[in-house]
Amino acid sequence: MLIDVVMPQLGESVVEGVVVKWLVEVGELVAKDHPLLEISTDKVDAEIPSPSAGRIAQILVKPGETVPIQAVLAKIETDPAAARPAPEEAPKWDEETEGFPGHMARTSGPPIPAPPRVEPSAPAPSPPPATGRVRITPVVARMAAEHGLDLSKIPGTGIDGRVTRKDVEAHLASGGASSFAKATEGKPVPKAAAAPAPPSSKAAASRAPKVSPPPAAEGDQVVPWTPIRKRIAEHMVRSKTTSPHVHIFAEVDMHRVAGVRARAKKEGVNLTYLPFVIYAAAKALRETPIMNATVSGESTVLKKDIHIAVAVDTEKGLLVPVLRHTDRMSLKEISAAVDDFGARAKSGKISPDELSGGTFSITNPGIKGNLFGTPIINQPQVGILRLGQIVKRPVVIDVDGEDSIVIRPMMYLGCAYDHRVIDGVAGNGFLYRVREILEAGDFL
Amino acid sequence: MLVTYIEAIRQAMDEELARDGNVLLMGEDVGVMGGAFKASAGLQEKHGADRVVDMPISESLIVGAGVGLAVQGMRPILEMQFIDFISCGFDQIVNTAATLRYRHGGQTACPIVIRGPSGGGVHGGLYHSQNPEAWFCHVPGLKVVAPATAYDAKGLLKSAIRDDDPVIYFEHKFLYRRIKEEIPEEEYLVPIGKAALRKEGRDLTVITYGSPVHAVMKAARDMAAEVDIEVIDLRTLLPIDWATVKASVRKTGKVLIVHEARLNGGVGGEVAARIAQDCFEELDGPVVRLAARDVHTPFAPAMEDYVLPNQEKITEAIRKLAAY
Repeated sequence: MLIDVVMPQLGESVVEGVVVKWLVEVGELVAKDHPLLEISTDKVDAEIPSPSAGRIAQILVKPGETVPIQAVLAKIETDPAAARPAPEEAPKWDEETEGFPGHMARTSGPPIPAPPRVEPSAPAPSPPPATGRVRITPVVARMAAEHGLDLSKIPGTGIDGRVTRKDVEAHLASGGASSFAKATEGKPVPKAAAAPAPPSSKAAASRAPKVSPPPAAEGDQVVPWTPIRKRIAEHMVRSKTTSPHVHIFAEVDMHRVAGVRARAKKEGVNLTYLPFVIYAAAKALRETPIMNATVSGESTVLKKDIHIAVAVDTEKGLLVPVLRHTDRMSLKEISAAVDDFGARAKSGKISPDELSGGTFSITNPGIKGNLFGTPIINQPQVGILRLGQIVKRPVVIDVDGEDSIVIRPMMYLGCAYDHRVIDGVAGNGFLYRVREILEAGDFL
Repeated sequence: MLVTYIEAIRQAMDEELARDGNVLLMGEDVGVMGGAFKASAGLQEKHGADRVVDMPISESLIVGAGVGLAVQGMRPILEMQFIDFISCGFDQIVNTAATLRYRHGGQTACPIVIRGPSGGGVHGGLYHSQNPEAWFCHVPGLKVVAPATAYDAKGLLKSAIRDDDPVIYFEHKFLYRRIKEEIPEEEYLVPIGKAALRKEGRDLTVITYGSPVHAVMKAARDMAAEVDIEVIDLRTLLPIDWATVKASVRKTGKVLIVHEARLNGGVGGEVAARIAQDCFEELDGPVVRLAARDVHTPFAPAMEDYVLPNQEKITEAIRKLAAY
């Protein structure tokens, strides 16, 4: 069937437009919504999409011509069987009437003066987007950089397939599901032979560990990665291959912190050790700007605001919600926020907004955290702290000029920094300062 | 108490005339007639003909006399019978009132308020429908306010009268008697320079002021199921409350600016440019403006509706931006 491509009304006041150029030729096969031509009106410039899939049968208007709204611009053959190259008897352009006989004689235009012609001052219009090109907005670009996202993997729901902020948030909320992760969802123990193929994307393959076929031995259980597991895996590999980690440790006397905790407990306030470390870190970060930074390409971005991300364990995996403006929070506010994150992380109610924008991270493995550990940096940040187990130990302290042995709650505080941007003096100075603040016990 | 927008304006002037003997009201027909719209009904009877003064039909004279009185310590409220005619007093406003403090090294102030009915939607034709606020937003030394509610109309006018700088106060005649609102019995002020967050939302911010605030709020309610709209009523146009604007843009990433004044050179252009510059990395779509078409406001109701923003255009603009 032959269908008409008509000049749409682009706005209430628009009665005509100028054909700027055709993007297709007669005989070409087009998909529905494929851009056919560009028109220019006094209100807007626009591409006219194809109303249907089919083959371009006729083009009825020349570039540069002004046409009224509802005029037929082209005809499309939608029946694939009948679709064949343009008929020989396509109407000829009539130089005298400046129109196609019976179709578009210029004199048939509306009885109002033509709008000023829009001179194509811009360079030739860009070709239709190549496959894989992603249309995004500034905020999406920023979020992609912050989270290390491959936007070509996120389906866009905006106009023209644009990836919107909501699309990115939904992607992050779902744990950053890639096509591979989705393909395996709901199949807890696939047979080796039925294992899906690894993702075809080169970007994902280079970042993620190689996917080898799961073993098929009797009794083995193959647990496909959940989306969040996959994201964690990708992130950890990327961090380890991106940043040369230097790990340093401070031995911190926590007896003053323990004292504050005990006093708070008498007032009915339960404080864990974590808020104290967060508080001390925020203070030390303010004094050591290089530790409160992110890496962007070959630049270090010293962040104005201090937003400390705190690792929270959930059933689904690790989440790292962010305490905004940590340095402006009191100890009690930090404690309340950490408790709140912990509770909401377990019930899955952390919003994607709360997972982005961290400038430094702290991880607390808890009571069974062992003596010390070497944390992995949360990219694109440059530093992370890790609390070790707090153990009572005999330590030698100075009492009125005399060495004395006392029992103190001691903690090994681990710190990793990115040696690409931070050298030993700054990194060590930072951790030393955190220790000083914790040992001074002044949290007001 | 339940009051109309125009009654809120009348009360503000009545209270300030009673509170401060230096406050005057001057304008065409403001005295015996009580104002063309009855904004000053009863004020001359109550406060006397030497404080509520009928003036000749000369806006230049009204503003000029007001500036002279202000320099000598009075606080005149200068009514333009229609704000369209404020242009007749333009020189006195931008070259005299706005520059006084500057020219005298801060040693003198110019505490005048110029107020009058602005806006269309009432089939007033092109001399009685104008929204000329943008002209004055370009002038340092002035403050410009445009209340959308009875509460703000009263509180902002009282603040304007007490302000030591010239304040241009745009009241919207479409709202005069269409709005009825509960306002406090006791005295209150609304600060100049502070926007009002009318509704919180996550998806899209609509920044507006004056009459369109009500259409935008209706759209926000009607469209609640499809898009969660945040609504900011600027209230003060000079200086604009950028902190409130930016905080909202950073939250939603999408901005529609709606005003009844014309698009070209309107206040929305400045708001859009600031957002583009300061919030670029937060934007999830183009900063869109919906304003009057760039023609004079026609008299014919159908044409006026075609030119001015209306409910339908606001809904369409929101829907389009939300989908971007």
